[in-house]
Amino acid sequence: MLNEERVILMTRMASYEMSGEGKQNVKIGNFFRSDYIALQLLKSFASVTIAFGVVFALFIFYDFELFMQNLYEMDMAAFVKKVLLYYAISAGVYLLATYTAFTYRYARAKKSLKSYYHNLKKLNSLYSEQQ
Amino acid sequence: MTDLLEIREKIKLFYSRFEPFIVPVLKFLLAFIALNTLNSRMGYMIQLNNIAVVLIVSLMCSFLPANFIVVFGALFSLLHMYALSAEVLLVGFCLYLVMFLLFFRFTPKDSLVVVLTPLLFALRVPYVVPVAVGLVCGPASIVSVACGVGIHYFLQTVIESSSTIRTMAEEDFAAKLRFMIDGILGNREMMVMAASFAITVLAVYLIRRMSVDHAWTIAMVSGALLNIVILLVGDLIYNINISVLGALLGSLLALVVAKIVEFFRFCVDYSRTEKVQFEDDEYYYYVKAVPKMSVAMSTRTVKKISGQSQYARGTSAPARAAGSGAYRRSTQPPRGEAGRRVTTENTAAGRGRYNNASGYGRRENYRGGKSVTIGSASMDSDQEKGSENFEEFF
Repeated sequence: MLNEERVILMTRMASYEMSGEGKQNVKIGNFFRSDYIALQLLKSFASVTIAFGVVFALFIFYDFELFMQNLYEMDMAAFVKKVLLYYAISAGVYLLATYTAFTYRYARAKKSLKSYYHNLKKLNSLYSEQQ
Repeated sequence: MTDLLEIREKIKLFYSRFEPFIVPVLKFLLAFIALNTLNSRMGYMIQLNNIAVVLIVSLMCSFLPANFIVVFGALFSLLHMYALSAEVLLVGFCLYLVMFLLFFRFTPKDSLVVVLTPLLFALRVPYVVPVAVGLVCGPASIVSVACGVGIHYFLQTVIESSSTIRTMAEEDFAAKLRFMIDGILGNREMMVMAASFAITVLAVYLIRRMSVDHAWTIAMVSGALLNIVILLVGDLIYNINISVLGALLGSLLALVVAKIVEFFRFCVDYSRTEKVQFEDDEYYYYVKAVPKMSVAMSTRTVKKISGQSQYARGTSAPARAAGSGAYRRSTQPPRGEAGRRVTTENTAAGRGRYNNASGYGRRENYRGGKSVTIGSASMDSDQEKGSENFEEFF
């Protein structure tokens, strides 16, 4: 026999799961908060490293001849230290922005999933009642 | 106003009914306009500057996710840059890569903003972007708007310096690279535009979220004014020669577009605002409820179906009518049957009725569908008993 209440509940949940925001939130909800944020920080770290590499390469090619001329005269340790300092500042700022944005996003997704989980529990109890 | 609300409801109904067709068509149109504009402005690669190619790619965009419009747009621009010079391609590729890695991670769904910003710049109506985005999107869209501004000015730099790049010697790799990078980093207008658009988006978003009456109108007007002020200040400081008249006219257009957006997204009746206050064990609640404006759609009521009926034998008329929707076809008699006459009556939308007296906001005459009354003179007598005039709701 069809249980009307169950069908309504399942339709509502399926519609939430199918919507763009719902799909995203369900995906986020599968993670613990720390795992989700750590994963995003890791992705951001990879992104900022590649992006910094690209910008650094452009900086070198910008005046490549001058760079090659000065290569043997410059204080290499100081140059590397300076580059690493810029990298640390860029990565730090970007990771901080990532942490803030994705912490907020996780909290928002969890809040949105609350009623979804409530419906899930209700559905489970409806099945239990039938058995 | 009631007429406008009725038109809005009709548009919404039409959109929800034909959404699977409308969305691909809109994506196709956007991709077609964006790629065509790109080709007409750059057009260095002859193979790409072909309407057939644009049509094929736009068709692909129509059924692929919206982000692919950005991907194909970037691909087209990179190929045009390659036709101009490999160094320009390198700079363009690095710029897109950095944007993709750093910025689109935060707003992966704002692809439309990234496409629309350079497109509207090309169509000379860029001031619509920050106001509309501030009303519709969140604060994270600042990134997309700034990226869109960056892409427009980068393409502008490529277009403006194309003749110079062509005259440079083939082997002068570093000089071309330097020329391009200087062109981007030294573009003060881009910086001012990006800053003003970002601040405007944020201001519009923050104001429209406030709980004051007419928050959306205040947000759009103050956003447009703020944008003009920042541009003028930037013009004074950096001497970037922004057209004041263009900015004013563009801002007026932005207000018109923003009003249309408001009509579809946030149409409320402040005259019926209710403020309530209550408490539970843990909190006191101060709630301000502003009712949305809505209007009942006109419905067509079938009052009477007379003449020989196909329901005369076997099945009861109400069940058939309700189950198969036969009343809709019944204006033309089925083959082999005597003619039937259907009398319909239009239930007009509530006009000029405001506030609680009835009017928009209250769907008192809305019946959730079509009401049908069927009367058959030729039904068998036993069926007539069970199916006198009845009303069926769909």
